[in-house]
Amino acid sequence: MPALLEYVTLEVRRTLRDPGFVLFGTGMPVLMYLLLTNVGGGGGAQGGKEWEVASMVGMAAYGALGAAVGTGTGIAEDKSLGWLRQLRITPMDPRQVVLGRALAGSVTVLPALLAVLTAGGLVNGVRLAPWQWAALVLLLGAGALPFTLLGIGNGYRLSAQSAGVVSVGCLTVMAVIGGLWFPVELFPGWLRALAVYTPANRFADLGWSLTRGTAPGVTTVLVLLGWLLVFGSYAVVSYRTSARTT
Amino acid sequence: MTQTADTTSPAVSFTGVVKSFGAVRAVDGAHLAVPRGETVALLGRNGAGKSTAIGLLLGLDVPDAGTVRVFGGPPARAVTDGRVGAMLQDGRPIRRVTVRELVTFVASTFPRPLPVAEALELAGLTAHANRRVDKLSGGQTQRVRFAVALAGRPELLVLDEPTAALDVEARRAFWGSMRAYAERGNTVLFSTHYLEEADQHAGRIVVIDHGRIVADGTGERIKSSAGGHLVSFDLPDDAEAEPRAADLGRLPGVVSVESAGTRGGRARLRTDDSDATVMALARLGAIRRLEVVPATLEDAFLALTRPRTPTGPRTEPRNEPRSRTWSRSWSRAKETV
Repeated sequence: MPALLEYVTLEVRRTLRDPGFVLFGTGMPVLMYLLLTNVGGGGGAQGGKEWEVASMVGMAAYGALGAAVGTGTGIAEDKSLGWLRQLRITPMDPRQVVLGRALAGSVTVLPALLAVLTAGGLVNGVRLAPWQWAALVLLLGAGALPFTLLGIGNGYRLSAQSAGVVSVGCLTVMAVIGGLWFPVELFPGWLRALAVYTPANRFADLGWSLTRGTAPGVTTVLVLLGWLLVFGSYAVVSYRTSARTT
Repeated sequence: MTQTADTTSPAVSFTGVVKSFGAVRAVDGAHLAVPRGETVALLGRNGAGKSTAIGLLLGLDVPDAGTVRVFGGPPARAVTDGRVGAMLQDGRPIRRVTVRELVTFVASTFPRPLPVAEALELAGLTAHANRRVDKLSGGQTQRVRFAVALAGRPELLVLDEPTAALDVEARRAFWGSMRAYAERGNTVLFSTHYLEEADQHAGRIVVIDHGRIVADGTGERIKSSAGGHLVSFDLPDDAEAEPRAADLGRLPGVVSVESAGTRGGRARLRTDDSDATVMALARLGAIRRLEVVPATLEDAFLALTRPRTPTGPRTEPRNEPRSRTWSRSWSRAKETV
């Protein structure tokens, strides 16, 4: 098997064998989804089926986001263990290491994503066409890439402890402002106007548009590409700084 | 991109290499050439600059001055070409992978790796192949790092203090494997502060101290370079009769005075003409419990690497104070090797 594929396999294994990652990473979004859609008469903020579907997408996005940003904690740990130094004395190109991490991130977002969608379908009885389910998994899986890059940037830049704290901070702020927990319609007007340009909001919008049966809007895709560029540059700069010092 | 490019340049060459960290010159003007197929020990106390030299050799650090070449090219190229494998001192096991998974991955990054089973066998890990690397004992972890270094079938194997966490049995097995690997025509460079290991397992010893190479040759050559014999005797209790260190230093044959001056203590003189020194001492009447012994490699090492100042440079962070570190590990080595 080529080195890159072996590396992705190694990283995916390491992540999925972490009971903490699997239990909290999938458990939290599922639990929050079920609470937000079933407590208080099941109506939630907007009420009815519409909210159950929107919240399902929001929480699936939240779960994927958490796993993606969490990549950083793993990298910061590897740095402190000397594993990144060991990788630097293998023939593998350091850029392949970063690429491998990003690809592994796209796989490790799947458990949380699938768990929330399953809860939506089985517990809340959300009904979508088969292509919609499939497209949801694909789009939200692929759309998590900017957040994995954000995580990679944190991981190369920060110590293991701060990477953990910063990851949770990034995740919470992005999720709340992005309307993954509560719909942005509840926000004051100025915040709502801002929210639709935040990365998590546009990320979830990939899914929201799908559940409405439409393709993602051009603005959504452009805004996400912009964030991909921002977080990608952050990852590259952090990686370069780290390579000079470790 | 492989060996075809050149087969004549030395495996490793350092030319006037300097590397500082802040005010500390960790490597201070090193010149060194290691021909292919040689097994070389880099011997020095903790903090002497061994790990820094290895970091430069692997391209993990860039020298401030001078050139480092591996197989005639920059270290990074030798690494990219898969010609170098290394066991780093500070590597700790990553979590949640098995020994076999880890070694398989590392092997896959090299163009001509060893079969994974062979790398595991050489490192003595066959029985532990399916265990998680973070669940192993210190000695087993050390073997995992050895397997990782070997996995790519490198022409140059670099081992930074490879036996630090090993017990007697594991040490013997480790050196056996290292020799087997070296005998296939590979170059091996290992660092150690165990003098006996250097003497027993390397054809050549490079002694490094305060970032400088202070001796380079076989164990025998290093012994003779530091003075042939050691003459020791009890100093008299009477302060009047006590010879001063400076006077002892002027006696015939004496190269250096190791210790003198404590009344009633013992003086130790390094000499390259023990007969002349003893005759002179007899004339001084300083022959109480006189003893003449041939210099050992330990003596040579101590003579070559005496600490400069109490606040001398420390390049590798260590918990132990530097002045006593070496002799402590020496006594440990004597017990265990």
